[in-house]
Amino acid sequence: MELTAIIPSYGQVALLRTCLTMLERALALTKLPGTAIVVVDNGTLTPYRLAEFGVASVRIVRFDRPHSYSTACNRGACEMPARRYLFLNNDVFIHPEAIAEMLDVMREHKAGIAGTRLVLPDDTIQHCGVKFDGGERGPYHQHHGRPTAIVARATSFPQAVTGAALLIDHAVFTALGGFDEAFPFGYEDADLCLRARHLGIRIACAQGQDSLHLESFSDRRPDRHQASRRLFFERWRGRYAIDGDENG
Amino acid sequence: MTREHAISLIVHTRNSEATLPRLLDSTRWAAERILIDMQSRDATIEIAQAAGCRVLNTPVVDAVDPIRNQYLGEASQEWILVLDSDEYLAADAHEALQQLIREHGANFDAFALPRFNSVAGHIMRGSGFYPDHQVRFFRKGTVAWQSGHHHLPTVLTGPLRLRRLEPPHCLHIHHENYVDVASFLERQLRYALTDDYDADPANFDFGSYVAEAYAEFARRHEPLQDGELSTAVATVLAWDRIVRGLIHWERLGRQQPLNGAFSLPIALAVPGKQTWKTVPMRNVPREISRWIRRRVSRRRH
Repeated sequence: MELTAIIPSYGQVALLRTCLTMLERALALTKLPGTAIVVVDNGTLTPYRLAEFGVASVRIVRFDRPHSYSTACNRGACEMPARRYLFLNNDVFIHPEAIAEMLDVMREHKAGIAGTRLVLPDDTIQHCGVKFDGGERGPYHQHHGRPTAIVARATSFPQAVTGAALLIDHAVFTALGGFDEAFPFGYEDADLCLRARHLGIRIACAQGQDSLHLESFSDRRPDRHQASRRLFFERWRGRYAIDGDENG
Repeated sequence: MTREHAISLIVHTRNSEATLPRLLDSTRWAAERILIDMQSRDATIEIAQAAGCRVLNTPVVDAVDPIRNQYLGEASQEWILVLDSDEYLAADAHEALQQLIREHGANFDAFALPRFNSVAGHIMRGSGFYPDHQVRFFRKGTVAWQSGHHHLPTVLTGPLRLRRLEPPHCLHIHHENYVDVASFLERQLRYALTDDYDADPANFDFGSYVAEAYAEFARRHEPLQDGELSTAVATVLAWDRIVRGLIHWERLGRQQPLNGAFSLPIALAVPGKQTWKTVPMRNVPREISRWIRRRVSRRRH
């Protein structure tokens, strides 16, 4: 298998259906000889059924109890091993050419991990790379909320990219032992990228295509990141390069 | 590091090649897997042996539950999981079972697991199909099945040693019951024909079967949960009560009175103009005949 896309998801069937439809189209445009989609049903009240999605090549991994995003991602990757994995949130509607662009960026720049530009419904930036502040802010989305038209289109090389749409080489993913399942919700992507950088792995973020991200559509609890945030700072404070605070 | 508790899996099969691979795929972690096969003529045994199962052969029986007891002793592990060949578990089931033993094994001998049931591709949320608890995970020697179809087994150490898992977000059994309504009908009829019936004529009352049919329809009919499928399922199960009444009556030698007026199940719609006239109204229960007459007179006016 050349590429397996993994989508952890809880409920939100119509959202997931649209996400899958967009993903299937984008995978086809990569022209890779073998691609697969794994949906990790993370404890949805009524289990997902293939017939609900109308997409041909989806495999569902069912959890009866909700697990962390990391656990769901790792289990999804085990289900269908491939040369590369694309981790995708169910509220990302991937641009048809975005995955092909991420693959090109990985090849051209010898990157082990690639992200892609994500925009909000009002055409402002949701993600175009993660930067790190030396203070309490820690990791943050660069240019978040700025009009996408005024943010440069050149491929960037941030210290981390979001797990909402993250492409990673199998060898890198295996060397890292996957996402760290100690993170209950959030920050597992920044942790993965920082660990990769410690192994000398390059991280890139493609900027050519805008994919829509309905940020945190599935979970809007204000405290949802707290436990992960604490763990992240315990582990990484003082151990990453300081990009500075772009709002500071 | 927590100790892992070994689990024996017991599965009863008969021509189960279509569904068995999914079950075996979802229980690879079991310390031993024992297949009790009823003379399968398809690839069931080959599939099981290729997956490393121990296969025991048994004669064909009408009901599986009564023979479950005689094979429970084959399990070598302290904890036993019993599944049917059209059932399977989720990807996190092993972890959930281990947690159950760790946290509750000292105080409980058996666990009733909720079950998702699927009819015609739809996972039923109402109609008496959910949560449909099944006692299928227990300590060896603490559970015994009764005769007949679909009776819950008894926990020999007492009801207080049974723990029910309450949904949502707990371990479930996943059950692909019926691919369509026709196979549902077929299976219900088979169950009805092969079930045990009270042999004492004094206890037979066809009217109570009819009453049960109405009650069954009322209990099962939850269109807000399952839409039209709920109506179909409720109708089949109401009809099932009537059919069982007739089978019971015949088993008793056709000596008991049957009130023909009550042998029809539920009138769900007014018959067409041509048809209703052919129905002798004296044979229709009074409540229903009144309802039909009201509808017809409303049409005429």
